[in-house]
Amino acid sequence: MKGTFLWRNRVLLSAGALLVISLHLLTTGLNRGDYAAAPALAMLEVMRPVQAAAAHLGDGACAIVHNYLDLVQVQQENTRLRAKIAQLETQQAEIAELKTENQHLGELLELHDALGLNAVAANVIGSDATGLSHTLILGQGSLSGLRPGMAVLSNLGVVGRIIDTSKHAARVLLIDDHNSALDGFDERSRARGIIAGVVDDGIIMKYVDRSEDLKPGDTIVTSGLDGIFPRGLLVGTVASVHREGPGLFLAVQVRPAVDFHALEQVLIVTQQTPSPPPDVRG
Amino acid sequence: MRLSILFAVLAYLALAIETSIPYWVQTRVLIPNLIVILAVDLGLRHHGVIPALIAFAMGYATDAFSGSALGINAFLITAVYLLTYEISSRLLVTNAAVGATFVFVGVIVTSVGALVLGDGSAGFAAVGPMLTSFAANAAVSALVAPAVFRFVAILKRMVGLPVSLARE
Repeated sequence: MKGTFLWRNRVLLSAGALLVISLHLLTTGLNRGDYAAAPALAMLEVMRPVQAAAAHLGDGACAIVHNYLDLVQVQQENTRLRAKIAQLETQQAEIAELKTENQHLGELLELHDALGLNAVAANVIGSDATGLSHTLILGQGSLSGLRPGMAVLSNLGVVGRIIDTSKHAARVLLIDDHNSALDGFDERSRARGIIAGVVDDGIIMKYVDRSEDLKPGDTIVTSGLDGIFPRGLLVGTVASVHREGPGLFLAVQVRPAVDFHALEQVLIVTQQTPSPPPDVRG
Repeated sequence: MRLSILFAVLAYLALAIETSIPYWVQTRVLIPNLIVILAVDLGLRHHGVIPALIAFAMGYATDAFSGSALGINAFLITAVYLLTYEISSRLLVTNAAVGATFVFVGVIVTSVGALVLGDGSAGFAAVGPMLTSFAANAAVSALVAPAVFRFVAILKRMVGLPVSLARE
């Protein structure tokens, strides 16, 4: 057999025959439902489990990849949104702060206009370091025209007076400090006294004659006689009046009008206060 | 018989890969034409009636999984086998690079042939625009071919088939 024409050309002949068969299949336009197409359909059936498994795996893999990508995207979006929220919250806080500051400055401006005196607004930048005395630190100093002894006010009333100044800062002695004293009177009864701080927190009105008609709830205002505070500024209200006990004077407890812990902006009167009219009993 | 079974399994795997990977990878040109690579391997190393029949069967199986008319890929894969056999039997050296070249040409031949045989004159007109993607697919197949040849060689050794190039 070997060495014959057929053997020598077996590959060529068999491949040629197969090519002819292929062309026959092709040219006769074999339908997929025909008998000769049955092996192809059988192959489809044989391949189906593998393809189904591959598709399943592919779906799973794609789902994992897509889920992962989505997760990464969501995480990035989340981070971005968190940053945005933080930024917006900061902006919101700043706006609220500016709104409050604007309101305070507006009230101080009204007070400034009402006083008719030269005054400078300043921010409160600190409080007393020890807590033993009651002082505040302002963000304006001598370069802004502040001098020791100047009256410090808020829109709610009297705050204190400046005791020290540097170029860019000033220290304010609050009226509830035990070293503080100012001249004031009861707006209703016109009874005069010295308003001073006490060590154990609070303000009292000293040297009020026992015969004076002071009642709780009365308004105490500055008299202007001390030469520091302009006349008629609100100091506080009478919290209690004690007539019992020995002594020449009443024990009057005053509730300050200003919440010293909540102060943010204050007004400093830089002009010397005009002398008050003599209608106060003392 | 061992060769038939081995290539039946390989063709089955090749078709499974070729029909499954496009499900994941949308860029079709990146998927190598494994059936052509197997046909080239047959043409390089196995000369006989059975290898020719295997090539035909692989083409026929490809037809079963393609939308083309039955017989197109049977014809083209058999033609690739025949061309590889004819040329390689006249070459002094047939290494992996030569095999890869056969694969490159074979993929282009089968792609263009399928287009022309399937669609006639319309297929001819489409050859020009499609040639770039055919060449890309052929290049990918040629790059993969040496690895496939090595893998097939390992399997052949395992089943006791000759691995060296066939010489008349």
